[in-house]
Amino acid sequence: MWWGGRGQSFNIAPHKEEPEMGLRGPKSDQGGRMPEPRSRRLGGCLASGCLPGNHALPMPLTPRLHPGLHLGLPHGWQGPEYLGHLDTPLSSDYDFALVNIGRLEAVDGLGLSRVQLLRPGSQLKFVPEELLIHGRDFRLLRVGFEAGGLEPQAWQVTMAIVQARAQSSQAQQCLGLPLTKAGQGSDSRKPPIPLLETSEDWEFERKKQGARGWRVSTVNERFDVATSLPRYFLVPSRVLDSEVRRAFGHFHQGRGPRLSWHHPGGSDLLRCGGFYTASDPNKEDIRAVESMLQAGHSDVVLVDVVDELPGLADVQLAHLRLRALCVPDSSVAEDKWLSALEGTRWLDYVRSCLRKASDISVLVTSRVRSVVLQERGDRDLNGLLSSLVQLLSAPEARTLCGFQSLVQREWVAAGHPFLTRLGGTGATPVFLLFLDCVWQLLQQFPAEFEFSEFFLLALHDSVRVPDTLTFLRNTPWERGKQSGQFSSYTQVYTPGYSHPPAGNSINLQLSVWDWDLRYSNEQILQFHNPGYNPEHGPDAWLPRQQVSFLVPGPPSSVWLFSKGALTPLHQLCPWRESPSLLAVSSRWLPRMAVSSESLADQEWGLPSHWGACPLPPGLLLPGYLGPQIRLWRRCYLRGRPEVQMGLSALTVSGLQDELSHLQELLRKWTPRAFPGDHSKKRDPSTILSHSC
Amino acid sequence: MLGKGVVGGGGGTKTPKPSFVSYVRPEEIHTNEKEVTEKEVTLHLLPGEQLLCEASAVLKYVQEESCQRGVCGRLVCTDFKIAFLGDDEPALDNAETQFKNKIIGENDITLHCVDQIFGVFDEKKKSLFGQLKKYPEKLIIHCKDLRVFHFCLRYTKEEEVKRIVSGIIHHTQAPKLLKRLFLFSYAAAAQSIIATSPKDHTVMFDTLKDWCWELERTKGNVKYKAVSVNEGYRICERLPAYFVVPTPLPEEDVRRFQGHGIPIWCWSCHNGSALLKMSALPKEQDDVILQIHKSFLDGIYKIIHRPPYEIVKTEDLSSNFLSLQEIQTAYSKFKQLFLIDNSTEFWDTDIKWFSLLESSSWLDIIRRCLKKAIEITECLEAQNVNVLLLEENASDLCCLISSLVQVMMDAHCRTKTGFQSLIQKEWVMGGHCFLDRCNHLRQSDKEEVPVFLLFLDCVWQLVHQFPPAFEFTETYLTVLSDSLYIPIFSTFFFNSPHQKDTNMGRESLDTQSKPLTPLTVWDWSVQFEPKAQTLLKNPLYVEKPKLDKGQRKGMHSKHRRQLSLPLTQPKSSPKRGFFREETDHLIKNLLGKRISKLINSSDELQDNFREFYDNWHSKPTDYHGLLLPHIEGPEIKVWAQRYLRWIPEAQILGGGRVATMSKLIEMMEEVQSLQEKIDERHHSQQRLQAEAPCLLRNSARLSSLFPFALLQRHSSKPILPTSGWKALGDEEDLAKREDEFVDLGDV
Repeated sequence: MWWGGRGQSFNIAPHKEEPEMGLRGPKSDQGGRMPEPRSRRLGGCLASGCLPGNHALPMPLTPRLHPGLHLGLPHGWQGPEYLGHLDTPLSSDYDFALVNIGRLEAVDGLGLSRVQLLRPGSQLKFVPEELLIHGRDFRLLRVGFEAGGLEPQAWQVTMAIVQARAQSSQAQQCLGLPLTKAGQGSDSRKPPIPLLETSEDWEFERKKQGARGWRVSTVNERFDVATSLPRYFLVPSRVLDSEVRRAFGHFHQGRGPRLSWHHPGGSDLLRCGGFYTASDPNKEDIRAVESMLQAGHSDVVLVDVVDELPGLADVQLAHLRLRALCVPDSSVAEDKWLSALEGTRWLDYVRSCLRKASDISVLVTSRVRSVVLQERGDRDLNGLLSSLVQLLSAPEARTLCGFQSLVQREWVAAGHPFLTRLGGTGATPVFLLFLDCVWQLLQQFPAEFEFSEFFLLALHDSVRVPDTLTFLRNTPWERGKQSGQFSSYTQVYTPGYSHPPAGNSINLQLSVWDWDLRYSNEQILQFHNPGYNPEHGPDAWLPRQQVSFLVPGPPSSVWLFSKGALTPLHQLCPWRESPSLLAVSSRWLPRMAVSSESLADQEWGLPSHWGACPLPPGLLLPGYLGPQIRLWRRCYLRGRPEVQMGLSALTVSGLQDELSHLQELLRKWTPRAFPGDHSKKRDPSTILSHSC
Repeated sequence: MLGKGVVGGGGGTKTPKPSFVSYVRPEEIHTNEKEVTEKEVTLHLLPGEQLLCEASAVLKYVQEESCQRGVCGRLVCTDFKIAFLGDDEPALDNAETQFKNKIIGENDITLHCVDQIFGVFDEKKKSLFGQLKKYPEKLIIHCKDLRVFHFCLRYTKEEEVKRIVSGIIHHTQAPKLLKRLFLFSYAAAAQSIIATSPKDHTVMFDTLKDWCWELERTKGNVKYKAVSVNEGYRICERLPAYFVVPTPLPEEDVRRFQGHGIPIWCWSCHNGSALLKMSALPKEQDDVILQIHKSFLDGIYKIIHRPPYEIVKTEDLSSNFLSLQEIQTAYSKFKQLFLIDNSTEFWDTDIKWFSLLESSSWLDIIRRCLKKAIEITECLEAQNVNVLLLEENASDLCCLISSLVQVMMDAHCRTKTGFQSLIQKEWVMGGHCFLDRCNHLRQSDKEEVPVFLLFLDCVWQLVHQFPPAFEFTETYLTVLSDSLYIPIFSTFFFNSPHQKDTNMGRESLDTQSKPLTPLTVWDWSVQFEPKAQTLLKNPLYVEKPKLDKGQRKGMHSKHRRQLSLPLTQPKSSPKRGFFREETDHLIKNLLGKRISKLINSSDELQDNFREFYDNWHSKPTDYHGLLLPHIEGPEIKVWAQRYLRWIPEAQILGGGRVATMSKLIEMMEEVQSLQEKIDERHHSQQRLQAEAPCLLRNSARLSSLFPFALLQRHSSKPILPTSGWKALGDEEDLAKREDEFVDLGDV
């Protein structure tokens, strides 16, 4: 095997410089010292994921994993400074949430190289020389006891980790993931990204998108329509709240059609759950459903999201295989690497997501058709597709802020079951699949995204850090319940009440988007893509009024987009003429004979009156050929430092540093401001919090 | 005339109109026939180029399958190229059009660039060769640079079809005589206009001085000397007129076996160890002769195994390493992945992309070459031993490995002139049989092995992994690989310097015929305008600061070694005794009795290699020092620019590396101008000239296939895998309907 078994190996130094660092009540000391940049050498703490009040691991058991002392350190690990700028700029490299531990192995050093797999609750059979911690996020931490002089405590340390892990998994089963007391003192913080928990946030979002035909509905304010839905969402203005309630009942889990994104050209992107086939709607119900789906458009394209995309089980299996392939001691010969990679099918799924998203975004932007994404549960692939479509079509979503609010809107607020999908043994990381898709776009369009690969990595690593509620609950309702937001008014229903009482939302306004809780300023600076071309940003694009290419068709034509082709549908909902279930399903299917004919002579099946339109300037069409879909090496191959190497993107930032240095020099000599100064002052606060 | 003959329709001044025809029916063509001939564009001929045959009313498909778009025009075959003269595409004052090759147009295929020709008979595709009984309705040409052309001959007169098809087949596929190469007629006709470019600093290695200079540059002149025994090719036609051997090597040894069996110097490392190559002695059965060989090699051994020479380690490239056959098979499988006739075919294979790629094993061959080069680097650098490369003629894998080692170890070889000099030294003068390996004369398909392309691909891997270390870009490598098939440059059209000199009349005693001076490919201004040439230069490359001053003086001879490490004395190795065995291996190998798997597979060697490799990669990279490529599974990649550039589906508008590149260039220029300002303030020196505006300075979105594939920009429609967009109503149609537009978005 070419890469043998080397990972990031660290020795444990007897803590000297920063005593007790490892024992910090995880981040409880954060609030007061916000302005001072956090030391990158925090080292990190194995136990940072333990229960509040339960971090009383015995002193020597919290080793400081010190990257400075090295023993055959891999490429780039000369010291913390070096480390910060090159390979992995995120210090969270040494932070291992207990949930994140995928596999724990103790290695016996007596030349026998015995390896014991440590499960929660298992007993060590020997004094380990080395501890291997395989992260579920593809990281590998190697803790060498001998060279660090911690040999005597090896047994204790290892057992402490094993126990902590057992406790945490127990706790997880009965309580859901516990939350650390991060940022408790900082109650006055304004969320960096609107969390979409108030109707003002939604109103702001509506205005930003310029969705004039839409309004914020308060029908789910008490989560009685659906607990998995946010309290507020956007519905067509002409539809009354009573109609909304009426219509939503006929969708799976009450997840009726809501606006995801409004295209300035006039078309809309909607998402909804599957039709609740067991229901027996009356005429008015059907009319309500139809008017919500159509939202005032004559043509509507229904997209069967599941079609051609991987199922949840597929994603799960692919991710497991990918992880098996990417561990440092994977036994794949280097000349068989490519077919092994193909065998995981992960890249294939990434490709199909990109392909579908690209087709849909052409429909929405270039053909200016309204599209309704329909997935039975509406909580997984719908979110993935609608976010990808927006990334492709809206330059706004490609900014740092825009992307965060996109994730907050389409994933967090929309009720993606993060806890189920990412926790536990049967994890189905749909969100990580999404991040991989975004990374592909970043690779393909290095000048179009304001955020960098490191930002994606930080997000990737944050999904299991028990700091904030963002990724640790399944629904907005659970999240709200935990934070005690609506304790005061869940009892009493007050119509028209649109915002929760202030002061009730204390500390739990904190979200994953509060990056400064976990990352230093230097690291946050790296979230910014130095190669971003602001000329392609949202401001450059939006003012130019999109010419509307909407062409009136025959009244109420409905299309189904499936298998890469459009087929006409008789009607939107399956129930209209015959309420009987069997008849419904047969009618629901596109007329096969007709559609295959129309495919042959109409190619994509596009109605002839939809003219071909020039592609709008902001639209990105991703490549999704075999050679264009790559492996996210910086993420998946982190366990193998040999494979990590510099990227040209870093050269850009190097140049930018040089530029600002030179400008600084010039400014010293010239009293007047230098005119050509377009390199932004790179300051984390401006990057993260400029008006979102 | 300056080399631009004008032939044909006389309509040269007329403004070309677009003539996109979709779903062309024969009757349409017939009614349009007059118009078509009037609209023809002119054919530009190079000096000495002759028109051989032509056909009109040929349809060139722009995109296959769903779109059925065709451009009508003339198909022409000259003794240099096949050209399609359609009506020009609407002029685009985009940056992309400016990267135009001055010799080869977008629709030109040089005869040597043709790989395979297929005809379509009743929807069936057949390979075309020899005499044809029936003529196809469609002609598909696969090129060696991986372009695929489709020409529809359905509307062409039968006479013309016969003439053009048999003409093309004959001129591209029939065996040719060397003297019939277009190179000669061009050189003869263009003699007056070929100016030698004095600006170019590429060392050609055709004089004794050049070799001495190289010896001095690498500090090899202590132990090695340049010899001129082969002047006039008196000893051997395989070797160049001048080369370098160990200083004590007597001249008669060189003569003895026509230069076989003697160590020839390639390059010296900073620590004094050297890379040598040797062509094997002819295989003999006779014991007496074998005895003679043995004693001869013993003598050689005694010379090079004695101090001051380092211990010699042999690498037998013809038995323990790749075979040419393997390379040939791998590449022919590999290229099929990119020679795509239509997009359906493409999408069918797309899903199995990785396993198809792997089964071609081209990437694995690249990995093995890089690995071998690293192993040799380790011997030279860490073990401080001399490495002797051994091969049948020392002209295939020897060239590949020794130049790879030099690219990795010698930063000079990563500059443009250094790289070009390296190719001159190792490949052109080293006697790589370009003529046979590229099958320029179509004499034997068996001999056609893309060794040089393999080398370029290996270098590409390095360029891709360490962009700041190279002065040239991947675009440079791509156009260099294209230049292999342009027969106006002599560089890649001979098997040896001897063959070139005799055929170019340099060595002939006939005083009446003046020797021809053909162009070299290194004169890039022949192919590209200065603006386009900026794309060949890597904006990220930073010269070594020390060197900077030396180069500003512009003195050719003042090139210094880049690696300024002190010349260390060879360690007195404790392993001396061990080397008796090694000698036996050496001699056995040299005698042609192949002992496989003895020399390279020892565990110790593997360990040394691993340690060296890991050690290097654990340190930050010095771009001016030693470079070791990553060779793990995920690290060897497909040279996307070269192989995917003609595939419209591979285009990403506004994406790809180009996007970062333009940003980089912008910033580089800004840094430069700021630095100038600072210089000005401090020293009030004269301003340096600002760089010529670059093609990339442009905020428009470029395609990821930039600077290639100009055509595909028109297909702004997304390509859908399952079927594809139908061309629905053209723009005029749309304009008519514009008044009727109703915004339904806010109803």
